[in-house]
Amino acid sequence: MKLSLIRSAGMMAMALSLASCGGGGDDTYTVAGTVEGLVYPNLVLTTNGVDITVAPPAKAGDPVTFTSPKKLEYGDTYNVTVKTPPPHQSCGVDPRFQLSAADTAGRLAAINARFVCVVNSYTLGGKVTGLTKDNTGLVLANGSNTGTTVIIPSTTDTTGAAFDYQMAGSVQYNQTYSVAVITQPTGRFCTVENPTGTMGDANVTNININCVPR
Amino acid sequence: MKSSTLLAGSALACALALSGCGGSDGDLFVGGTFVGVTKTGLVLQNNGGADLVIEPTNNGSGSFAFPQLVETDSGYNVTVKSIPSNASECKPFNNTGKVAFNITTVQIVCTIRQHELKGSITGLTGTLELVNGSDKVTVAPGATSFAMTKINEDAPYAVGILTQPANQTCTVANGSGTMGSNDVTNITVTCGPRTQ
Repeated sequence: MKLSLIRSAGMMAMALSLASCGGGGDDTYTVAGTVEGLVYPNLVLTTNGVDITVAPPAKAGDPVTFTSPKKLEYGDTYNVTVKTPPPHQSCGVDPRFQLSAADTAGRLAAINARFVCVVNSYTLGGKVTGLTKDNTGLVLANGSNTGTTVIIPSTTDTTGAAFDYQMAGSVQYNQTYSVAVITQPTGRFCTVENPTGTMGDANVTNININCVPR
Repeated sequence: MKSSTLLAGSALACALALSGCGGSDGDLFVGGTFVGVTKTGLVLQNNGGADLVIEPTNNGSGSFAFPQLVETDSGYNVTVKSIPSNASECKPFNNTGKVAFNITTVQIVCTIRQHELKGSITGLTGTLELVNGSDKVTVAPGATSFAMTKINEDAPYAVGILTQPANQTCTVANGSGTMGSNDVTNITVTCGPRTQ
């Protein structure tokens, strides 16, 4: 309250004197903000030609704050953007506060650029071989996490040619996964190759399902 | 009693003013959202009235509204008449009040019953890591049993080996299936000298 009163008084003074107030000197603004969801180090934000490296919180899940070392003067514009995301995460302006990262210094009493980061997720999949159009009913699951995935073979295939499949849902970086057959298809017995692992930074495509006549 | 007097009062005011007061035609709905509903069986009532059967959804959550519209200033009291077959309870929240506008804030939270997922181990001399999706359990050398995190009734499970013990190969039997209404206790892990 007090601050904004002073500021408007300052503006009035400028207007009255009709002098160029450009210099100002002591009328400075700090670009500060908050990042939620940060887990990994080395997030680099940038604004007004200055990079700001943001470290993850001491306690997982807490928001972290950042402050640009460069002071702005009244009327300077700022636009905080993600220069480099942390490894394994994607970061951006919080969609709930889309206008918080770019504005003109002095319009708000305090600048709070809101960012949010999420851990990247990737899919699980591979190739299915040995299923013809008659071998329906194969159901897979990744543990108890994302429900089940029904594998439907081509309605015209009679040879059991290989085709790609993808599990329903996705898996976050560094989470474990375990794919197994929940229901075997009609007339075939299927086994899972490379069924378990820990998610890296790319889709997993080597969980092959090999089906043979019963 | 008091509320009906009030109602009568406002009805009179409407009549006198000859203006559309909305309330008296009953054009507002009572509804809200639910979570934990993956099977049929959830039935709701408003003020003990007609049954509203809630259809399950894939992820268990969704929204509902009673088809019977109600008048402004009438009271609502949404109650749970019966619960899904796989739920241990369904609790209503924000379920009573007076209707001043469409009510979308009633919440029904069903808790799905959970069951144990466990089994036995033979021959383990090193450290073994078992996983069921994102749930990881580290099993110490010499252990003869293990338990994964409990899972929901009707959920699939797929217990596999993430990391084999040093110099050993273990195999899992009965590792996958769908959780029924009883604990799963028949998963067996058999370990022996490394085969490779």
